[in-house]
Amino acid sequence: MRVMVGVKRVVDYAVKVRVAADKKAVDLANVKMSMNPFCEIAVEEAVRLKEAKKATEVIAVSVGPKASAETLRTALAMGADRGIHIMTDIRTDQELGSLSVAKILAKVASEESPDAIILGKQSIDGDFGCTGSMLASLMDVPQCTFAAKIDFDASTVERETDTGTEIVKFPGLPAVFTADLRLNEPRYATLPNIMKAKKKKIDTKSIEDLGVELSEGNEVLEVFEPPPREAGILVDDVDGLVDKLKNEASVI
Amino acid sequence: MFATRRITQTASRRLFSTQLATSTATLTDFNAFNPTEEHKGLREMVRAFAENEVEPQALEYNRAEKFNIPLFRKLGDLGLLGITVPEEYGGSGMDATAMCIAMEELSAVDPAFCLSYLAHSTLFVNNLNINGNHEQKMKYLTAASSGSLIGGMCMSEPGAGTDVLGMSTKATSKGDSWVINGTKMWITNGTVDGVNTGDAFLVYARTGEKRTDLSMFIVEKDMPGFTLGQKIEDKLGMRASMTAELVFEDVVVPQENMVGSLNGAALCMMRNLEIERVALAAMSSGIARRCVEEMAKYSMQRRAFGATIGEFGQIQKMIAESYAEFMASRSYIYNTSNNLDLNSAGNVMDSDGVKLFAGAMAKRVADCAIQTMGGNGYTGEYRVEQLWRDSKLLEIGGGTNESHHKNMTKWFKKDDGRIE
Repeated sequence: MRVMVGVKRVVDYAVKVRVAADKKAVDLANVKMSMNPFCEIAVEEAVRLKEAKKATEVIAVSVGPKASAETLRTALAMGADRGIHIMTDIRTDQELGSLSVAKILAKVASEESPDAIILGKQSIDGDFGCTGSMLASLMDVPQCTFAAKIDFDASTVERETDTGTEIVKFPGLPAVFTADLRLNEPRYATLPNIMKAKKKKIDTKSIEDLGVELSEGNEVLEVFEPPPREAGILVDDVDGLVDKLKNEASVI
Repeated sequence: MFATRRITQTASRRLFSTQLATSTATLTDFNAFNPTEEHKGLREMVRAFAENEVEPQALEYNRAEKFNIPLFRKLGDLGLLGITVPEEYGGSGMDATAMCIAMEELSAVDPAFCLSYLAHSTLFVNNLNINGNHEQKMKYLTAASSGSLIGGMCMSEPGAGTDVLGMSTKATSKGDSWVINGTKMWITNGTVDGVNTGDAFLVYARTGEKRTDLSMFIVEKDMPGFTLGQKIEDKLGMRASMTAELVFEDVVVPQENMVGSLNGAALCMMRNLEIERVALAAMSSGIARRCVEEMAKYSMQRRAFGATIGEFGQIQKMIAESYAEFMASRSYIYNTSNNLDLNSAGNVMDSDGVKLFAGAMAKRVADCAIQTMGGNGYTGEYRVEQLWRDSKLLEIGGGTNESHHKNMTKWFKKDDGRIE
């Protein structure tokens, strides 16, 4: 089995983002960038398949600016075999929409013919969570989203739902999987593997090289900080609390 | 201009730098703190590990004066314990700068844990890697790189610290063996459980008449006559790192455990002290970085007189000066490490210089952090008080400030006193 994983470079989860002066985006200047946490989980899952000798090759793919090569290098240090970098200067957090990314990944998949494609369930910048499903539709293959456990022998996926998890059977490979938080705990890249990663190959291509026509993304009208939380109030008694929950907050 | 060129040339000679070796690399690509992609990857990995795994246990283990052995062994899984050891012996084959990066990042979250790491990876592992023979490396470095063996180095004695060549521990020849007698003091990792000695040590002992007639031996746990004198309790700082007095009473050590040549250990010692001092300076750098971050963050949240305290000039002075001092020190450290060949000796001027400067810098910066954070900074929960206490050790351990003054001044006498 050959596995393709998507890795996206995003603003690090620990960074407190600021709105750019023109209010059209968050400010990316001098901001720490890292691999999207859900992509880390996807890479980890693929590498474990390789270690269990179920996968013969793990190919990491990233769409993004020059610096995305660093993110690919991290995936290689975690254990992916080679990387494919689709270079673009279009902002991947908002301008390059999910459908465009899905089209790019579908094109790469058509060239690489992987048996399984594992993506993060969403990226923590745009937070759309659509790419995996769109990719499966474009490729016309099964999709197993929000995976908490993947069993390739039994062709089942335990997936997260709002009320717990459900186990679904998928008809077979190729298929697209998206990784949820509980799928695994990603490893730290060890120092010897960080050094080995340098020798692994990253193929760099442009969107034009691939011949993919991008779809129009959403137009961002304005980006603003969430309104600050208003001060709370003290209610006199339980009756007062129930009254407010019922009549003001309308939650009971 | 010259300085920058020198760095680039040195970096291009570096074994693991292929990016900088290409002539297309521009000077702006060069970052002294992360000279190659591997160094950058290393820093990111250690920082993530430090923040996620080391930070959460620091307060508890330092309060209890306990060493976290399982966490320490995890450093082996990450390839950090044998950071300068060739792959052949189970290590990662990196350089002095890589060692500084690991020290700086671990020290920023728990200097005590980092000190045990330093005693193992620098004083035992790197020392044996540079000075030992193939058999010794096969036998000890593989285990030490994986973390199954925890080691240290024995130099100081109750009666000999800065005056290290005044040591009295003796090894006498007896057939094919050596018999060691004496007491070693302030040994980091001397015990790791408070009851037994650590696993293996490089021990310096007198083997001749001249002051410099020292030899180095590998002494293992459970060798008859080798015992834990005492675990040293109630240290000001570095409390999660165990320090011990070790006693050698007619300890018989086979000839094959002699590291280097007979009476040749003074050079080994001086050479390893150089990398140790740069590594200790990197620890100071980690302490300072954390303190600057903590005080800046606090100053933006804490309010007084209707504004955040970061709006006041007195606080701004502490933050800005601390950052500038930290970066000056950090630049000096990495400029030194980037030029430090682990096989070389004779770099005393800067190996002592960086530690002298960084040690005092970190202590000042940690003091500013407590001052900025007031009563909160004085308590354990806010972390900087540990850093303040730990920082003091770096003006004493691995060479007192006074020994650096002495060594550095001597350099001026030996050379023609010109600074290139």
